[in-house]
Amino acid sequence: MTEMEPREAEIDSLLRRSMAAPIPSLPPDFDQRLMRELSRGSQPLDRYRRILLVGYGLMSVVTSAVVMRGQGLDWGAISAAILGPLSLVAAARWAMPHRFLNIGRLH
Amino acid sequence: MESDSQLVARVQSGDQPAFAELVRRHRAPVFRLAVSILGREFIPEAEDVAQEVFLKVHHAIESFRGDAEFSSWIYRITFNQAVNLKARVRFRSPHADETVLYRAVSPEPGPSRQAETAQRDRALAECIQTLPEVYQSALRLYYWLDAGVAEVAELLGVPGNTAKSYLHRARQLLHGMLKERGYSCD
Repeated sequence: MTEMEPREAEIDSLLRRSMAAPIPSLPPDFDQRLMRELSRGSQPLDRYRRILLVGYGLMSVVTSAVVMRGQGLDWGAISAAILGPLSLVAAARWAMPHRFLNIGRLH
Repeated sequence: MESDSQLVARVQSGDQPAFAELVRRHRAPVFRLAVSILGREFIPEAEDVAQEVFLKVHHAIESFRGDAEFSSWIYRITFNQAVNLKARVRFRSPHADETVLYRAVSPEPGPSRQAETAQRDRALAECIQTLPEVYQSALRLYYWLDAGVAEVAELLGVPGNTAKSYLHRARQLLHGMLKERGYSCD
């Protein structure tokens, strides 16, 4: 550290005294617990959720298409109405993958 | 020894032991950074943050393109994760009172002197909590977790001079705040 002015040196020594405490560390079984969590995340349940989500998405697309067709829209407009937002989401995911995992900037 | 980017490439091609090696390398700094943000009252929460960070990293590693260092990337995730959690646990009662922990390692002679010191330490802890997150984190890393300026800079993702100025500014602010409350620093 560079030289401090007296009042900064005072607060420095107060902080040293006041904040001195045992340094915590991770429990020894941290790695095992983490690996267990990871393997649980990639189990069949995860695949099952994914299948459900895809099924739900497909049902929504079909229902929307049928309703829009019932309103007299042509297939071109229906495709644009469905594929437009989907491609926007895909493009945003590709461009900013970190945002989707809440990984923003530090400050 | 393999570099982080080589390990990342191996993980991206499906090699799980390479991920375990990345965890082994980075678990301690990730935990230290999380603890420095959450404070000593929330150490179990810091463990949860560390676990959550590695789960996120595992999930997102496919999209890691190596524009930045792997360590900077993981520390940034940790910082955001810990700050988000801190906002949620702020109103929950802490697991331990900070001043009780201080007393455990720095006993003072005489009951009146002890009470005075405890009061000032409590005031100091309150003042620290009003500082910006990066200042709080820098202070805890430097004064509690025994990190050097270089480590503070690395974990906060800033140049060394910026880390020094965080510490300098934090000390100045604390000095002023304590003075305002009528405490001396000697």
